[in-house]
Amino acid sequence: MQMPEPDQAVIDRRETICRDLRELVAADCVIDSVEGRRAYDADGLSAYRQLPLAVVLPETVEQIAAVMKYCHSEGIKVVPRGSGTSLSGGALPLADAVLVGLGKFNRILEVDYANRCVVAQPGVTNLAITHAVQADGFYYAPDPSSQIACSVGGNVAENSGGIHCLKYGLTTNNLLGIELVTIDGEILRLGGKHLDAGDYDLMGVMTGSEGLLGIVSEVTLRILQKPATQRALLVGFDDTGSAAKAVGDVIGAGIIPAGMEMMDGLAINAAEDFANAGYPRGAAALLIIELDGPEIEVNTLIDRVAKIMDSAGASSLKVSNSEEERNLFWAGRKSAFPAVGRISPDYLCMDGTIPRRRLPDMMVRMASLSQKYGLRVANVFHAGDGNLHPLILFDANQPDELQRAEDFGADILRACVEMGGVLTGEHGVGVEKRDLMGIQFTEDDMKQQQRLKCAFDADHLLNPGKVFPHLHRCAELGRLHVHKGKMPFPDLPRF
Amino acid sequence: MINVTGLDDAAAVIADAMEQQQHLGVQAMATKAALGRDANYDEMINVSAFSGIIDYQPDELILTLRAGTPMHEVESTLASANQMLAFEVPDLHKILASKSAGTIGGVLAINASGPRRLTAGAARDYLLGFDAISGRGERFKSGGKVMKNVTGYDLSKLICGSYGTLAIFDEVTLKTLPKPETNISLLFPCDDLSAAVARIAGIFASPHEPNAAAILPQAIAAKAGVNVAGAMLAIIRLEGIDVSVADRAAHLLAAYKECVKLDTDASTALWQQIRDVDLLADADGDIWKLSCAPASAPAIIATLFDQFDFQFFADWAGGLLWLAGPSGAEFGMAMRSALAANFNGHAQLIRDSGNSKDAIAPLQPLSSAHYALHKRVKSAFDPRSVLNFGRMHNGI
Repeated sequence: MQMPEPDQAVIDRRETICRDLRELVAADCVIDSVEGRRAYDADGLSAYRQLPLAVVLPETVEQIAAVMKYCHSEGIKVVPRGSGTSLSGGALPLADAVLVGLGKFNRILEVDYANRCVVAQPGVTNLAITHAVQADGFYYAPDPSSQIACSVGGNVAENSGGIHCLKYGLTTNNLLGIELVTIDGEILRLGGKHLDAGDYDLMGVMTGSEGLLGIVSEVTLRILQKPATQRALLVGFDDTGSAAKAVGDVIGAGIIPAGMEMMDGLAINAAEDFANAGYPRGAAALLIIELDGPEIEVNTLIDRVAKIMDSAGASSLKVSNSEEERNLFWAGRKSAFPAVGRISPDYLCMDGTIPRRRLPDMMVRMASLSQKYGLRVANVFHAGDGNLHPLILFDANQPDELQRAEDFGADILRACVEMGGVLTGEHGVGVEKRDLMGIQFTEDDMKQQQRLKCAFDADHLLNPGKVFPHLHRCAELGRLHVHKGKMPFPDLPRF
Repeated sequence: MINVTGLDDAAAVIADAMEQQQHLGVQAMATKAALGRDANYDEMINVSAFSGIIDYQPDELILTLRAGTPMHEVESTLASANQMLAFEVPDLHKILASKSAGTIGGVLAINASGPRRLTAGAARDYLLGFDAISGRGERFKSGGKVMKNVTGYDLSKLICGSYGTLAIFDEVTLKTLPKPETNISLLFPCDDLSAAVARIAGIFASPHEPNAAAILPQAIAAKAGVNVAGAMLAIIRLEGIDVSVADRAAHLLAAYKECVKLDTDASTALWQQIRDVDLLADADGDIWKLSCAPASAPAIIATLFDQFDFQFFADWAGGLLWLAGPSGAEFGMAMRSALAANFNGHAQLIRDSGNSKDAIAPLQPLSSAHYALHKRVKSAFDPRSVLNFGRMHNGI
């Protein structure tokens, strides 16, 4: 993965820059030692590492603004970072960029039950929002699997999902307001405790913009009343096609479960070895279907779903009759990644989405790719919304296996787009999928997206080298083909 | 009027307009022409020909169609599979004095959402992807045809509610949802607006899952044929499968002795009148729509009653206020200062009964920093101000 050529002149000024930054924030909030910076050299995509130029940990929004203003006027790049759990390298440092960590923004500012929202600083963890309101029966719906560690500011940057987003939506659907610091140090509030923008939905665009448009310095999140009951079904199938069809049948019957997860044979056995959750070892596919809501509704729908599963040819079916049992059903799924970690020295976690009806085709494709690359793949899916998480097993100590695994992953994502889907359902593009963007988008599509970037950050100082495979100068992007002619857009070199 | 049949046509028209430095208005059925600023255009582009369902996969909850498709066609298509657009598209033709609910493109362009917006999200939450032509005359697409997608910037959000000032879309993909089996409503007589807002907040803090909540003053409720004692009626809607709705209603009826139930037909009819703002259609004067923090509604309404004579009702648990009151700038200015004193929000002039738009911006004005950013965003899509220039804000 090639990153933009670092600006040696900036690197040479490192000491001066750190001294200047200490004028803007408390002296101990600038980290410039090698050991100190080492802690920030990667995010959840740990195959890539880079020491940042310096790490700044501002404590107030005014300090974020001052740091941004300084970097903007000095032409220094900025990489924002929440908890560093991105799986796509969104917070990967650059050698010539100041890493702005939001870790000190860790306070919940207000719990407002009258307006059913929580106002929080961006470094608060996702799960801490629910913890702050659960005694009163409320919760925050988006639940990415990293929720114990990932920050809500990072959730906004990545538009994080989770297993319940089929029914409750992604971050973007649960966000009411943000405070944003732009690269030139302006502090703007978008949205609030009311609904809908009434002007351009800039908050909607900020959500999922992967730190390229601004730094989120405060969030206002919608909270919901916790459902009265949750129950789950654990259903085995002898073939993945029947399982995929069963998922469609549930939705076709007008039922939207809180979550519908699917695992393939390799994942089932790895999870069962790890968690002893009572998964059917011989099955080719396993569905975990969770329903939530009023008790009588859940009980009725559980029966309806069970009938649908029978008709779809389920080979085994269990229904949870207690919270313990429901949690056990989930224990295997939730430990799928560490479980796979036990059967292989390393794995790559992919994240594409396909129209659900193409799932059987995708399974066939993956099996043939698995043979081609000589690597195994275990599959866990958010089946309800077609979001795939193939885990490609490899051994980084074998000379070419990382490369083969990456090529295998790229082929899976190509297949996702070819089947009518997209490169990433919830992990983001970051650096991981940057060079694959051209599979899904034309140059014109990407240029239009980058023009929007220019409206926020005309000098490409915020998180460059992420999301877009080519950097175009804003002046070039702004030129018009007035005469339908072929005004040349000389691309900057690919990095 | 220039009728275009596809994006390539539109590209040629936009290219010409750029060359000749013209401003173009964009319309299909023009049912929402009254919304936003009155801007003058050199030509109108008509995109009514961008019509038809392209692909509907009910099991995938995905509908792809052209933006000029009339809403009645969208609704009948969805009804064939017992599905819906969960954001509950309002049909404002009575208060806008237009012929129909218009097209899906118009709905998306103004991000129009009805009562279920409170719990299910807005139009912008259901647009998954689109193909469009920018004000630069260039084709681009964004998003996708799947439910879960974070690839690239979420331009679907930006394009929704942008009043056609950034791009003209053709193919749009929407998320659909199954229609609930049934619905009923519960009416809670309250002494005043504060009590009604608090009652609704209390029910939202229970596990009974209301999915819409409105507040009607007695006289407005009477217009809807609902005659229940109490100065202010808090109304919640329960939707879902029969046994669930019946069970939740039974719990609430037992807990609140004063509560009155409306059965399915009456409930459906009432929420349609709330959604479409029929309840203010016969009112004199201007009609405003105000989005605020729900708990701020009583203070805002009280401030306005100190100064003006007007009718109103609330949707979205108090977070959406519909007001019919005096023509002119003062009414809207008072709303905007009341909002500024109560956690902000936005007030929009929906029906101008006189010449109010000459005196007050119909959309909530932007701060200078927001305006500058809006202008740069506009320029990123439409640098020569070809499309619907000035429709939302002067200069944008």
